[in-house]
Amino acid sequence: MNFREKTAWLNVIAMVAAYSLYFGLLLSGHPAGREIFPMLWLFGSIAVAHAVTVIVGTVILSAQAPKSERARADERDRAIRRRGATMAYYVLLVGMMIVGVYMPFIESGVPLANAGLFAIVAAELVNSAVVLMSYRRGWHG
Amino acid sequence: MARPPFTNDIRTLRFLAGEMTQGDLGDRVGVTRQTIAAIEQGKYSPSLEVAFRIARVFDKPLEAVFQWSDEEG
Repeated sequence: MNFREKTAWLNVIAMVAAYSLYFGLLLSGHPAGREIFPMLWLFGSIAVAHAVTVIVGTVILSAQAPKSERARADERDRAIRRRGATMAYYVLLVGMMIVGVYMPFIESGVPLANAGLFAIVAAELVNSAVVLMSYRRGWHG
Repeated sequence: MARPPFTNDIRTLRFLAGEMTQGDLGDRVGVTRQTIAAIEQGKYSPSLEVAFRIARVFDKPLEAVFQWSDEEG
């Protein structure tokens, strides 16, 4: 498994862990699902923890990887990234359409913000999953 | 994943070039070792530019490195 694939796995694992916790707490009735300040605190804490995990993990993986693997992305890496971003775009598009349809039916902005965050997380997960699958199974981009 | 409709002889050409490593070929072509491995295994179709660069490393015409496979095409 090369350096780029390992960092993609790190992103997926960190994101699943962080946002499963966030949306799990919302589903279990945490006030972050209804009120603005609890939402900002919970989301802010989880987003910072997620970012720190990814940064520290990337530094560790980078230190362990041979120099040749840390070289600039080549045409295959770029093709794979484009494929992931294209698939994620459609997920984000549909997610935002659903949020837009949901918008007129609610009074508070908090559930709307959480629905938007869910769409972003889902799109990013699809991006990472497509990138991982393309490295594993091949991609004729 | 479906394989591309062409095969390649990069592994053989590396052997004939004194067991050139995938890393050495990648350095000379401007791609990573993993990309050379993926091309050899038919998991990635290189751009025309990279295909020509590979052929030039071995001093061969393009069709001596990549062959269209009539069975799959």
